[in-house]
Amino acid sequence: MAVLVLVFSPLRGLLQRCWGRLERGLLPGFSESQSPPWVPALAVQAPAFLPESGRDIRESNESPSLLDSILWMAAPKKRRTIEVNRCRRRNPNKLIKVKTNIDVCPECGNLKQKHVLCGYCYAKVKAETRLIRMEIGKKEGRPFNTPTVETVILYDGEKPTKKDEGKRIIERARKRPSWFVQN
Amino acid sequence: SGSTWVRGLLSCMRPERWLASGSLLPLSCIHTSTSLQKLGKWEKKNRIVYPPQLPGEPRRPAEIYHCRRDIKYSHEKMWYLAKLIQGMSIDQALAQLEFNDKKGAKVIKEVLLEAQELAVRNHNVEFKSNLHIAASIAGKGHYVKRIRYHGKGMFGIMKISRCHYFVKLVEGPPPPPEPPRTGFDQAKEYVQQLRSRTLVNTL
Repeated sequence: MAVLVLVFSPLRGLLQRCWGRLERGLLPGFSESQSPPWVPALAVQAPAFLPESGRDIRESNESPSLLDSILWMAAPKKRRTIEVNRCRRRNPNKLIKVKTNIDVCPECGNLKQKHVLCGYCYAKVKAETRLIRMEIGKKEGRPFNTPTVETVILYDGEKPTKKDEGKRIIERARKRPSWFVQN
Repeated sequence: SGSTWVRGLLSCMRPERWLASGSLLPLSCIHTSTSLQKLGKWEKKNRIVYPPQLPGEPRRPAEIYHCRRDIKYSHEKMWYLAKLIQGMSIDQALAQLEFNDKKGAKVIKEVLLEAQELAVRNHNVEFKSNLHIAASIAGKGHYVKRIRYHGKGMFGIMKISRCHYFVKLVEGPPPPPEPPRTGFDQAKEYVQQLRSRTLVNTL
């Protein structure tokens, strides 16, 4: 958790300067000749729309200055007690839900989610595929050298059949894995 | 007699004899052992030995205490995983943790497997599946403060949090979960409370 130190210093400096100017009555809109609007020098029944009041209305119609927007920022009023914090953090909707979609893989016996492939079986197939691809790489020699024919992978003691006439043959020096069915 | 006493003392001063007996040498107290500096309370709980049970008593289930210290994870986040596991059987707990994506899930899974291994090897547990999690607690570890650099030359102080994880495995199937408190139970308790009031200043 990070705590920002002196994060509002440029804004705080601006605030201090603005307040200083207000104290001294130097803000634009209140020149020395005119008294500020919260101290009526003379209460006179006058028409609502005055040339000076027009300037005030125009100023009030402008977007609120940076000073106003700082004063209306949301801030916590009180420290949240640990009891309130605990009620929020330990609410049942924030606790981790128990998963009911875990099964046992019929092939290897490891756990798997119902809608996802078994991790162990996938890793096993991935490893064998990697070795086959290395063999293919050795046969091709350089990149972009793939022939435009099908590929057949043969394991120990297997001969290419009549169907595999024009296909490229990749040899793997091991027994055929049980899950890799030969056509 | 004085000379024999001195000779006895000198013979005792041979360090090989002291090392053989296994006691600490006050003069050369170099801790050359590789054991942990200080065993925490949880680790010592495995050492309690009960007196032998009487023939008529029901069998006391085996209890295995295991923990891991200074895990690089927040104890508030670890608490959620510890709460998930409370009261489950060890197989169910391992299944839930395997498919949880949190960092602490992997750590807790390792701790549970270690504890299961210890149970079978050292604590005379017959079946490794016959264990359930009686207590699973996450505690705060040592924190370290570091500087985190922000823009414009600002800085913040961040704390690197660590946590401990404690687990107690007990032999046997997990206890059935408590039935949730119904309105009928609450009403019954209220009536009971009313009935147990005593009348003051009466006969």
